[in-house]
Amino acid sequence: MTDVSMTVNGEERTASVPPETTLLTVLRENFFLTGSKLGCDVGDCGACTVLVDGIPVNACLMLAGQAEGRDIVTIEGLANQDGMHPLQQAFENLASLQCGFCGPGVIISAKALLEENPDPSVDDIRDALSGNLCRCTGYTKMIEAVQDAARIMRGESADEAA
Amino acid sequence: MKHRGKGIGCMWYPIGFTVAANPSAATVKVNEDGTATLLTGTVETGQGSLTVLGQIAAEELGISTEDVHVVSADTDATPMDTGAIASRTTYVTGNAIQLAAERAKNILFEVAAPMLGVRPDQLEARDRKIQVKGYPQSALPVGEVANHAQNGAGTPAIGSASYNPPTVAMDPETGQGKPFSTYVYATQIAEVEVDDETGEVQVIRIAAAHDCGTAINPMLVEGQVQGGISMGVGMALEEEMLFDDQGRQINPNLTNYIMPTSLDMPHIDVDIVENFDPTGPFGAKGVGEPTAVATSAAILNAVYDAVGVRVPNLPATSEKVLAAIKAKRNADPKRVSAS
Repeated sequence: MTDVSMTVNGEERTASVPPETTLLTVLRENFFLTGSKLGCDVGDCGACTVLVDGIPVNACLMLAGQAEGRDIVTIEGLANQDGMHPLQQAFENLASLQCGFCGPGVIISAKALLEENPDPSVDDIRDALSGNLCRCTGYTKMIEAVQDAARIMRGESADEAA
Repeated sequence: MKHRGKGIGCMWYPIGFTVAANPSAATVKVNEDGTATLLTGTVETGQGSLTVLGQIAAEELGISTEDVHVVSADTDATPMDTGAIASRTTYVTGNAIQLAAERAKNILFEVAAPMLGVRPDQLEARDRKIQVKGYPQSALPVGEVANHAQNGAGTPAIGSASYNPPTVAMDPETGQGKPFSTYVYATQIAEVEVDDETGEVQVIRIAAAHDCGTAINPMLVEGQVQGGISMGVGMALEEEMLFDDQGRQINPNLTNYIMPTSLDMPHIDVDIVENFDPTGPFGAKGVGEPTAVATSAAILNAVYDAVGVRVPNLPATSEKVLAAIKAKRNADPKRVSAS
């Protein structure tokens, strides 16, 4: 067993797990943060995307031990008692998700984009979401929601023309 | 060199099959606080059907969608439903819900009529009230009427109903008949860019005009069309299950079974062609599966417009498109490619 400790959504968390355990497994099964999804388990679908020191990572491809001492943000870390994150609110307002399975990963990828680029073009957004597969939506309303959230986070109103 | 082309695909699609029993059933209960509870057997898979079904109940009862509590897909508590299949939910389940809500509403009318000093047929349900048609100042809150129905008149405002698109036997000699209750129609136009050196097809834009009867929730209709187009793009250009000679799939994962990412999807313009179908709930038909039907035809016609080649079997992968372009060049060496 390996002892791992990391910051998850602002809290210090530790677990004792077999060394081959992935970050995703620790998040879901030791820390009970089941928002990050186990989709393909080989890094193709992006449903497990989390932020590691601010960078979007497929948690199914990272060993828990590699996350030692790092700062992890999952979908559970976005909303607070004041309400949802602007991205979550925009996704809800525009019905950007359908079955929702890809949603936690998509929103985390979008959050990483907006932290780096507060005013992304449609092509920037397509590029940022390209590692997150969605079977339901055609991505159209997701892209619109990321644009809306970006405007809100820049202090503009959501419905201003891009 | 890259060539642009445009292509059109048109389709019709059947809604509400009638070749076999195809029932849905629903129960609608109006509560004493003016809300309603809807029991339906159908399953929400993200397409928004429970929102649309709640809207149908709310519209019939003159209350708000947020007043309707939808209980779905619990076999202990809800009626059986033929299924969230065949683009039938809004049409068949929606009809059952409208009928059930109408029965509950008629109880409210019977109870409210003597309270308002009119006949039941002079009443309507609007703005969370039961009111006299043409005299909205003469009205009672829905909750107050529901309370009186329960505790005064002794006739709780509950309606149950089923709907089955009338089953019609097919002629056993000819196979002819009326297999579906109604139909929807759509046209999609694709604009593509084809690289004649690699065979790669990039879909630039798709304009999609869809008839779904009354669009009860236009935002959800758009979502269905956009999602269907992504499936159509995959079908046209990328998605193919490959098997070895033992029947084992050789591409059983998303590394080599390729489906559209955000980078593969075109700009999409959705045009909802409103239309009233008298057999549907508030004129609605359906929209789910039809959205994916016209896309591949439009894309492949656009490829032909761009480089003058037909790829007769899907998906039109880069390899197939390039092979078709080379075959065309070899057959007509003076013509390098279409303009």
